[in-house]
Amino acid sequence: MLVLLALFGIAALLLAPLTRALTNRVFLVAALVPLGAFGHALVVGPGILSGGPLVERAAWVPQLQLTLDLVMDPLSWVMTLVVTGVGALVLLYCAAYFRSDSEGIGRFAATLTAFAGAMYGLVLSEDVFLLFVFWELTSVLSYLLIGHYQGRRASRGAALQALITTTLGGLVMLVGLVLLAQQAGSASIPVIIAAAPEGALTTTAIILVLVGALSKSAILPFHFWLPGAMAAPTPVSAYLHAAAMVKAGVYLIARFAPAFAETPSWREILVVLGLATMILGGWVALRQTDLKLLLAYGTVSQLGLLVVITGWGTRDAALAALALLVAHALFKSTLFLVVGIIDHGAGTRDLRALSGLGRRAPVLAAIAALALASMAGLPPLFGFVAKEAVLHALLVDALGGADLAAIAVAGVVAGSALTAAYSIRFFWGAFATKGGVDDVEDLDHVGPGFLLAPAVLAVAGLALGPLAALADAGVAPSADGLPAGVAPSAPSAPSGSGEVYHLALWHGPTLELGLSLLAILAGVAIFLAREPIARLHARVHSPVSASELYWDVVGGVDRLAVRVTSLTQRGSLPFYLGVILVVFVAGTGATLLIGSSGPGEVRLWDTPAQVAIAVIMVASAVAATRAQKRFTAVLVVGVTGFGMSALFSIMGAPDLAITQILVELVTLIAFVLVLRRLPAQLGDRHGSTRKGLRALIAVAVGATMGVIALVAAGARTEAPISLAWPELAYEIGHGRNTVNVALVDLRAWDTLGELAVVIAAATGVASLLFIRGRDDALPRPARGLVRRRVEQRLDRVREQGRPGELRNAWILAGPSLDPRNRSILLEVVVRLTFHATVVVSIYLLFAGHNLPGGGFAGGLVAGLALVGRYLAGGRYELGAAAPVGAGAVLGTGMLLAASTAAMPLMLGADALTSAFVETELPVLGHVEFVTSTIFDVGVYLVVVGLVLDVLRSLGAEVDRQADPVERAIAAAGSAPAAVSPPAAAGPQSEGRA
Amino acid sequence: MTALVPLVVLVPLLGAALTLVAGRRPQPQRVIAIGALVIELVIGIVLLIHVDQVEPLVMEVGGWQAPFGIVLVVDRLAALMIVVSAIVLLAVLVFSVGQGLADGDEETPVSIYNPTYLILTTGVMIAFIAGDLFNLYVGFEILLVSSYVLITLGGTESRIRAGVTYVVVSLLSSLLFLASIAMIYGALGTVTIAQIAQRIGEIPVDVQILLHVMLLVAFGIKAAVFPLSFWLPDSYPTAPAPVTAAFAGLLTKIGVYAIIRVETVIFPGPELNPALMVLALLTMVVGALGAVAQADIKRILSFTLVSHIGYMILGVALGTVEGTAAAIFYIVHHIVVQTTLFLAAGLIEREAGSTSITRIGGLLASAPLVAALFFIPALNLGGIPPFSGFLGKLGLFQAAAQQGDALAYALIGAGALVSLLTLYALVRVWNLAFWRSADAVEGDESRLLRSVEEAPLNTSTVSGARTTPRLMTLSTAGMVAVGLALTVFAGPVYGVASRAGENLDGPGAYIQLVFPGSSEGAELE
Repeated sequence: MLVLLALFGIAALLLAPLTRALTNRVFLVAALVPLGAFGHALVVGPGILSGGPLVERAAWVPQLQLTLDLVMDPLSWVMTLVVTGVGALVLLYCAAYFRSDSEGIGRFAATLTAFAGAMYGLVLSEDVFLLFVFWELTSVLSYLLIGHYQGRRASRGAALQALITTTLGGLVMLVGLVLLAQQAGSASIPVIIAAAPEGALTTTAIILVLVGALSKSAILPFHFWLPGAMAAPTPVSAYLHAAAMVKAGVYLIARFAPAFAETPSWREILVVLGLATMILGGWVALRQTDLKLLLAYGTVSQLGLLVVITGWGTRDAALAALALLVAHALFKSTLFLVVGIIDHGAGTRDLRALSGLGRRAPVLAAIAALALASMAGLPPLFGFVAKEAVLHALLVDALGGADLAAIAVAGVVAGSALTAAYSIRFFWGAFATKGGVDDVEDLDHVGPGFLLAPAVLAVAGLALGPLAALADAGVAPSADGLPAGVAPSAPSAPSGSGEVYHLALWHGPTLELGLSLLAILAGVAIFLAREPIARLHARVHSPVSASELYWDVVGGVDRLAVRVTSLTQRGSLPFYLGVILVVFVAGTGATLLIGSSGPGEVRLWDTPAQVAIAVIMVASAVAATRAQKRFTAVLVVGVTGFGMSALFSIMGAPDLAITQILVELVTLIAFVLVLRRLPAQLGDRHGSTRKGLRALIAVAVGATMGVIALVAAGARTEAPISLAWPELAYEIGHGRNTVNVALVDLRAWDTLGELAVVIAAATGVASLLFIRGRDDALPRPARGLVRRRVEQRLDRVREQGRPGELRNAWILAGPSLDPRNRSILLEVVVRLTFHATVVVSIYLLFAGHNLPGGGFAGGLVAGLALVGRYLAGGRYELGAAAPVGAGAVLGTGMLLAASTAAMPLMLGADALTSAFVETELPVLGHVEFVTSTIFDVGVYLVVVGLVLDVLRSLGAEVDRQADPVERAIAAAGSAPAAVSPPAAAGPQSEGRA
Repeated sequence: MTALVPLVVLVPLLGAALTLVAGRRPQPQRVIAIGALVIELVIGIVLLIHVDQVEPLVMEVGGWQAPFGIVLVVDRLAALMIVVSAIVLLAVLVFSVGQGLADGDEETPVSIYNPTYLILTTGVMIAFIAGDLFNLYVGFEILLVSSYVLITLGGTESRIRAGVTYVVVSLLSSLLFLASIAMIYGALGTVTIAQIAQRIGEIPVDVQILLHVMLLVAFGIKAAVFPLSFWLPDSYPTAPAPVTAAFAGLLTKIGVYAIIRVETVIFPGPELNPALMVLALLTMVVGALGAVAQADIKRILSFTLVSHIGYMILGVALGTVEGTAAAIFYIVHHIVVQTTLFLAAGLIEREAGSTSITRIGGLLASAPLVAALFFIPALNLGGIPPFSGFLGKLGLFQAAAQQGDALAYALIGAGALVSLLTLYALVRVWNLAFWRSADAVEGDESRLLRSVEEAPLNTSTVSGARTTPRLMTLSTAGMVAVGLALTVFAGPVYGVASRAGENLDGPGAYIQLVFPGSSEGAELE
């Protein structure tokens, strides 16, 4: 069975490519797989019926109790025959139904075959979750099949409707199955049936499972998707909506009925909904003028009947249910296929337009007549045999005194009458010769290939009637073992005592026969009274259309979704931040209020200086929020930074203080460079609305944070690890500067990460500034042209640097500047301090291990040296000062740092393990060297690279973008390459220099 | 074998350094970047096999013993995350190379895409192996900065605006995280996760909960848990497709990963579980409704991303081995499927010139391969069996059913509902963008779009359709294949997730790992 299942899958994958060569004959290949499965089932049948089920097991996800366990017991066996047999015939039929040039037939063949495979798996699954897997697969595949005519909106809508409806049911069922498996302690169906758990939870679980089954089988109130699904090609309707998918729900009920038919409300739900569906479906079918819709509502009606009898849960009922299921598959598939042929040949399915077809196509009419007779329950067809069995099973209990059974009998008889009526209506509508309607043109398309499938199905329905004993042998084993009746006074004949009911054409003049006769006569009467009934139909219009209800619900969900989303997704950053902060305050505040822990011992300050600094910091923070100009805001924010560094130095952390000051300086410079290009005033939208609320949130967050700090510190019970650091740093890290040892050794792993942050930040600055031509949506403009222009300009700069003009050449690029922008004083200072600053930076780098300093501070100092060169001499001076690319500096720094981390691994040590080298060198004397210094060099380089990158981007690039010459070049560059260079712009403005 | 632990971080970092040194030459850049990620993947797989079959790995960086130095820990959860992340990052990189995003930048002083992408990888990996709370913070910082660079790539107005939302919210999250670390250090005097776990029992319960709440808020922003999630759909969709794909797959999951560590190792107590469950429910439902209200595929996917974070939080919030295991499996599944769908959205954008379902149609006919590459992961995300999304959901439902209280049942119901809404949102895309013919788009008054057209922020532009480089399709197909492999080999993968869940049953195992033979670890069990 697993092999066959795999074959279905493989076939589905191969069919689409095969279609190119085979066109519509691909269906003949596709039919082979279900045919094979059918043959296999026939061969193993006798063994299964005489006792031993066929079992195959494979593992999948054992942790979820999801296993590929397939079992073919008598019930599965019958279902297998139905789904594979009808499947094979429908696929054969498709070869005639589709023309060789029909669109998408490869996809269609693949999907239909996959669907057959899913059905095959569904009826064989032993594991409820595996069953669910196939269950949902059939939903999705049916979605694709219903939507086959994708160009039609109705088709797409119906497909979505069917998918959503059945998946809704499916998910409800999944929840039920999870609960059920939980209660039973296993996901295996036989184990669940044997355990038959009880209790409120089980009842809930079972009802949830029933919801799934009913939605799949198109029972009220989920019935609407089935008529909608008639948008599918007819073979799909014949297979999915007659024989296979809609039977899945019935199958599931049949599976669980033995254990759960006595669950409270099971029988009531199924009988009431089933009967209502049966009668409503039959009634609506009488109104239909589209033959296919007539069949669809007929199917809904029959499914109602099936659900009633399947859910009844007695031995005879189970027997009857399975017989009816088989009979229904045979006659309903036949009829759909017949409709397909009519539609194909006559070009319409409207019974008002069809006339004289019976004479034109007598064979077709005969096939249809057989199927209809079976549907109406006429002897000697199998439908009659099955309906007799249904009536018998219910009558036993009705006569035994079960009220529900009596209601069921009455309902079934009424429903059967409607069934008989719409059966006649179908035949009359399709084949009769009607006055006032032109006869249908000839149906020359109908070849034997087209007729084969319906003929086989119809004849099977005919043959099984007289051969009811044979059918009984096949169907009965799955029913045996069930209770004989549900009514208290029912004859409790144990199975096998000779009294049990068997399928047969003739049981004698029984009450069942009488009821059958009554139903048929009533059906004829209803058909004859079609004129008044049509008037009644016109008047009694269903107040609520379930399909419209579906659309209302969907529309309601859509509107709800939009409303909820516009409530949360304001697109407003302050709103998002406010929500986050409110959550923070609420969460921590509630904990603080409920909890009993108070703050620990509070020491307000170590020195009064801290208070002063704190006041300044708070004041400048508040000022920053009220600043009207960007530059003011930047400055006051800077004050908080300097305040921080003052706090650091008071607390005895000179490294941090130095670094913080340098960071503030570099940040300030970067800000100033950026602010050149921004409007001086802050925009209106900053802080103009809801100021009070924002202030409230801000104060609340600050207050909460402060209280938390006190409470958390007050709860401390153990000494912090940092107390051990100075000793560790000196003894093992060979450094007296604990902060530096922490950065480059103890916690160098963090530093390595922060270097990555620095590099990413540098890259980001470049990314945002150098955006010219980088939009991946645009073709690159003439790059060569741009470069040529730049080079020309540089040449001009070099010419201006001729010896004769070197009078004021304190710095290299000085002459390139507009004289009005030059400051000789600045140039002189930079000239004098640059090299000294670089030396200081290197000193800081190497001294850092024992004294304040380190790679970070050193790098920043070196960066400031570069800043000086840039400020004095502009971008060409910067280029002269740092002739290497920022990327190379960043990359080299990171290479050094990361290699220091990786190198010890090769020696078998932990990453970043440092080594200490101590040696006497000539001249230098005693030298100590810790390998972590190499790491610090990496830090140094990365920081220099960052500053360089910031200067290049925020400085030089912004200069360049603001430069009128460069603008002209850029304009030329972004124009098509063919445009001649705008020669005029350059030299003129250049003339000033 | 322990040497492989830091290499997980050092390989992409060295790769980033080399791409920077390589400058503006695209060919070596590509070779270095892809090479680094291939090596990363191999390391990850070796680690996973070793950790799963032999023993978890611990390295004390620089030889400094915990708690004084930084300790790196690779247990099953970390190894699993490393492997999945490496796969996703590699596929996305290949996709970007195909798209041409990784090339060029001749005008800039540093090359941008490749180094930043590798630094992002570094951040991801640092976060996974950190056995130290502050080091975890460093990982988050790297993610924040590098993802900001990637989200604003190209510097268009919409990207800068999205980038500002992203970076400010992320900074706030970082700030809260940093404050939490400070408070934890204040209370416990340590930042080594294992030692925090050892000492946490010594302080009063209300202070424990206080610290717990702080960490959860910080990580909840990262993970996009309702109501800390509003920023996400406003930040992600505008970035270039592969960038969004990587972010959607990975970044929020790192938040969830951190939450798992918090809930299982640092604060294993059940005090906040009910609250987390309620938040999980709201995250799921509000996110799914958001997806239904969108017309743009990338925005739909951003909302499903938020929504399905709820599933993972649900698993974690149950506080059981089964719940954690299911959450871990769901993370793995979701990283793969969400990335795949965003890549597929990138293909759609390329083929149709837009990702708005009000504007496009006929893709099944014009690009059948893209259709398949969208449909399969869409069903997977919608939780349709047999795909991994269904398996993860089944695991979560079973774990919740085991819990068996009203809240758990409510969450199961919400989970089923959200699954349906996700399916609805995605199948609607299929109906309109793939099935509906391109000619029918103009003036189509589909009932499916009636409310969406009134929704806010549904503007999108249609640019000309272009041919799709084969590499883009190939990497998307590769990701679809990975998703299918997760389905077929769900048994072994779920096995690892289950065992990882068992490792995380209380802090005992984790403490033993970092402090072997410590009595405190044993006491706590």
